[in-house]
Amino acid sequence: MSDPSRPLLEARDVSKSVRGPEGRLDILDGVGLAVGAGESFAIVGASGSGKTTLLGLLAGLDTPSAGSIRLDGHALEQMDEEARADVRRRLVGFVFQSFHLLPALTAEENVMLPLELEGRSDARARARAALEAVGLSARRRHYPAQLSGGEQQRVAIARAFVHGPRLLFADEPTGNLDQRTGHHVADLLFGLNHDHRTTLVLVTHDPHLAARCTRRVELEQGRVLTGAAA
Amino acid sequence: MRLFLLALRSLRREWRLPELRTLAASLVLAVVALGVVATLATRIERGMLAGAAELIGGDLGVSSPQALPAAFAAQAARHRLALSRGASFPSVAFSHGQSQLLDVQASDAAYPLRGTLELRGANGNAYNGHAPASGSVYLDHRALVALGLKVGDRVQLGGRDLAVAAELLRQPDGGELFALAPRAIMALADAEQAGLLGVGSRARHRLLAAGAPDAVRGWRTWLESAALPQGAQLITPEQTQERMRSAFDRASAFLRLTALLSALLAGVAIALAAQRYARRKANEVALLRALGTPRRRVLGLLLGTLGALALPAAALGLLLALALAQGAWLFASGLFAGTPTTLPLGPAFAAAAMGIAVLAGFALPPLARLAEVPPVAVFRESMTRRVRRFDALYLVPALVALALIASQSGSARLAGILAASLAGVAAVAALLAAALLWLARRIAPGAHPALRLGLAALARRRGTSLVQATALSLGLVALLLLAVVAPALLEGWRRELPADTPNWFVLNLQDDQRAGFEQTLARIGGGQLNMLPLAVGKLTAINGTPIDRLHFADERAKDWADRQLRLSWADALPPANQVVAGRWAGPRPAQAEVSIDTMWRDMFALKVGDTMRFDVGEGTLEAKVGSIRKVDWNSFRVNFFLLLDPAHAGELPHTWIASFYLPRGHAAALAQLSRDFGNLSLIDVDSLLDRVREIVDRVSLAVRWVLGFSLIAGALVLAASLAASAAERRHEAALLRTLGARRNQLRAAAACEFALLGLIAGLTAALGAAGTGWWMGRAVFRIDGFVPPLWPLALAAFGAALVVMLLGLAGTRKVTRTSPMRLLREG
Repeated sequence: MSDPSRPLLEARDVSKSVRGPEGRLDILDGVGLAVGAGESFAIVGASGSGKTTLLGLLAGLDTPSAGSIRLDGHALEQMDEEARADVRRRLVGFVFQSFHLLPALTAEENVMLPLELEGRSDARARARAALEAVGLSARRRHYPAQLSGGEQQRVAIARAFVHGPRLLFADEPTGNLDQRTGHHVADLLFGLNHDHRTTLVLVTHDPHLAARCTRRVELEQGRVLTGAAA
Repeated sequence: MRLFLLALRSLRREWRLPELRTLAASLVLAVVALGVVATLATRIERGMLAGAAELIGGDLGVSSPQALPAAFAAQAARHRLALSRGASFPSVAFSHGQSQLLDVQASDAAYPLRGTLELRGANGNAYNGHAPASGSVYLDHRALVALGLKVGDRVQLGGRDLAVAAELLRQPDGGELFALAPRAIMALADAEQAGLLGVGSRARHRLLAAGAPDAVRGWRTWLESAALPQGAQLITPEQTQERMRSAFDRASAFLRLTALLSALLAGVAIALAAQRYARRKANEVALLRALGTPRRRVLGLLLGTLGALALPAAALGLLLALALAQGAWLFASGLFAGTPTTLPLGPAFAAAAMGIAVLAGFALPPLARLAEVPPVAVFRESMTRRVRRFDALYLVPALVALALIASQSGSARLAGILAASLAGVAAVAALLAAALLWLARRIAPGAHPALRLGLAALARRRGTSLVQATALSLGLVALLLLAVVAPALLEGWRRELPADTPNWFVLNLQDDQRAGFEQTLARIGGGQLNMLPLAVGKLTAINGTPIDRLHFADERAKDWADRQLRLSWADALPPANQVVAGRWAGPRPAQAEVSIDTMWRDMFALKVGDTMRFDVGEGTLEAKVGSIRKVDWNSFRVNFFLLLDPAHAGELPHTWIASFYLPRGHAAALAQLSRDFGNLSLIDVDSLLDRVREIVDRVSLAVRWVLGFSLIAGALVLAASLAASAAERRHEAALLRTLGARRNQLRAAAACEFALLGLIAGLTAALGAAGTGWWMGRAVFRIDGFVPPLWPLALAAFGAALVVMLLGLAGTRKVTRTSPMRLLREG
């Protein structure tokens, strides 16, 4: 399916509009970008510029109103939600600003979730390995409420890469963390990006984090301000 | 005031929240269920009492061995009650050189105040009338036969020459079903003039009254506080016939049980909705606290909101209850015939108050705890979620439930059984759910993906799952008790009085008439014939001491010692009798034995091994108390307080008493039987049987009316328990969708989850309902050999699992469609 000469993720002329109380609202307008395998790519911009919407569209969580998005050769806009779910399960990992761990599950069980959805029998062993990779093997039986913010985000990172995704989407991954912890989490993400050649697409306000990416794009009022800048 | 306005504003904004609507709907339902049943029950009870009043000839009476003080009648007159005075006594009548001892009742012309006095005139036509005018008398069939008289002849009674004005067919009477002596009714004035009621007579004086219920209650209150003469007692409709009273008790227990179960169901729904509401409010409360609102004010605001919700909901429930109770009365007026037309308002208001108490009890604990949310929780949401492992406040709903059960059941036994059963069901459901969650962790890795996800979902929401399983089980057990067990209990009760229950009793059958009577009865279509010997005697000594030298604490003992007693004998222990002490004698004991009823044991302080001496005719029989029996006086069989052994009693002078069933509409055949056996006295108990059947029918109807509300309450419990986990489910579904879960995967997992929940709830509820039903059948409703309908219960359990699964799936349809973008929007 994948062609090394083609970008792993590509958006062409993507627009997104929604109907609000005051009529049509254009959130994204003609956005185009391409991300190659193993790259790290930052989407930056002010609040309300459409960063999160773009991330959702790129990850196949939503469909564009116009334009096309290709993820590892899959035309996401032509797929229904079930097919996109299938793509996400196989190819994509997520890290959120608020971690989104299930409070009733231990760290290990949270990490096992993507594997369980695939029906993998080695879920537990792989989850332990992933937790060890983020330095939390001693905390695997802890519940999210018993972990600090940084630890919760590390569990979320372990969950994001435990099933070996080709793409990792991160939405403000350090937004809820102090500078030092944020730095540590960022090291982890870029380490994975480097070691496993996992493509990293992240949305951030943090210029330092954006600066660590190989490329970045800035959005303003739904349009690309500076594209493909290194 | 400002706080209340703030609360009103808050309520207006929050009205769209499903949990607030569930709270309101549950309260409305609790009030409606309690109100309708309580109103219907009050009406039915009043109707039953009115029916019973017909049996005693008035609404209330007082009887005494001495003349009653004038103040009694004066007080009744002050309450504007209609009055009838009378007296009863034994007296010998003479005619054509023959004499006969009669049970005479002397009454004024007002008798009866309630019910009918059925008479037959000289032309042979039956009619309803009042007590005879001075100078005349009514005699029953036996008296006419014994004295060789017919209507229109004259008879000497109490020294007066009286005209027999009519044959006495039936009279309202709270006395015994079978009077030993033939009966007569004469004018009170004649009895007084003849000196039959003077000092030293054996007359028992009686004053009956009838009128408006409030007036009767007023007189009753006065009588109960007045000093009654020695040996005097009230004659109340409730204590008419033992078998009627028992029917009233059962009917009341049924009605109360149904109302109670519906209210408890609504209580469970309220508790679940309140929990959910509290959780949702936690962030808002944290914010208010952070902005400097004192804890007391927060609590006031929460209580104000709850009050602003509760009052209109309770008022709506009250109006609906009254409308529905009136509707039931209009649509089923046939069954409620004879009940008062005025709608009793008290029970519905009481129900509204109880509904508010239920809401307060079930909803206050989570809301009160909410006021304790620390301001710092605005920074960390998880702090608001901290739940104490044990919270004393959560005992409040349990106490409210207990108080409700205790106040509504009207019987400590019913209350105890219900409370114990519900606690048992809750405990078993929680244990089963906990066991399943434990198992889920162990079997989940190797299970089918859908089952694994379903089990994982149950395990993820461990607390909610336990609450859901327990609430669903409690809801279902209440529903099953109402829908399956109560009808079966009612059917069991109805079966005690099958269509061919003996409806006629025969007295005075002679030895040489037995075979002929049996043949004639078979010819005219009668059946179920049962004959027992009957000897009439007196108790003369206990343990060798003459009875007149003994003193007993129980006042009834003296009365019975003076009376002529009915004695019988049998080889085997008769049906509806149970030996509770000693051993049944059998046909040939070495020494004469008597088996006594528990009432006799209590009255005369008797025990097994004591001896009793009876004078029967010319002879005397000394018998040892061989056993003590508990007799089911509801059984409509011929029962005896005293049963002798046949070997020693067989030679005593005796007649026979028989009971048989004859279908209605056999009047001509019966007249023939009566002519062929002129000495017999035939007693019709159809009216009593009809009354008991009528009570069963009315109760069945009321139970059916309540069942509808219970089903709605059950659905509310389910909705509330689903809502309890809806937000968690939505968040979880969004996360799983983001991680790539297919919709079918989520659906199958939800189906497994709800099927498991439903199975736990269904099985626990079926077991609980069967156990509770069996226990209640024996201990409260005293229905012999009652077995709860096990198959219907098992089917209902699986049905419930299916319904929970389907409704759960329907309820989570929206959840499985949750957009995964939701997570990104939440941050």
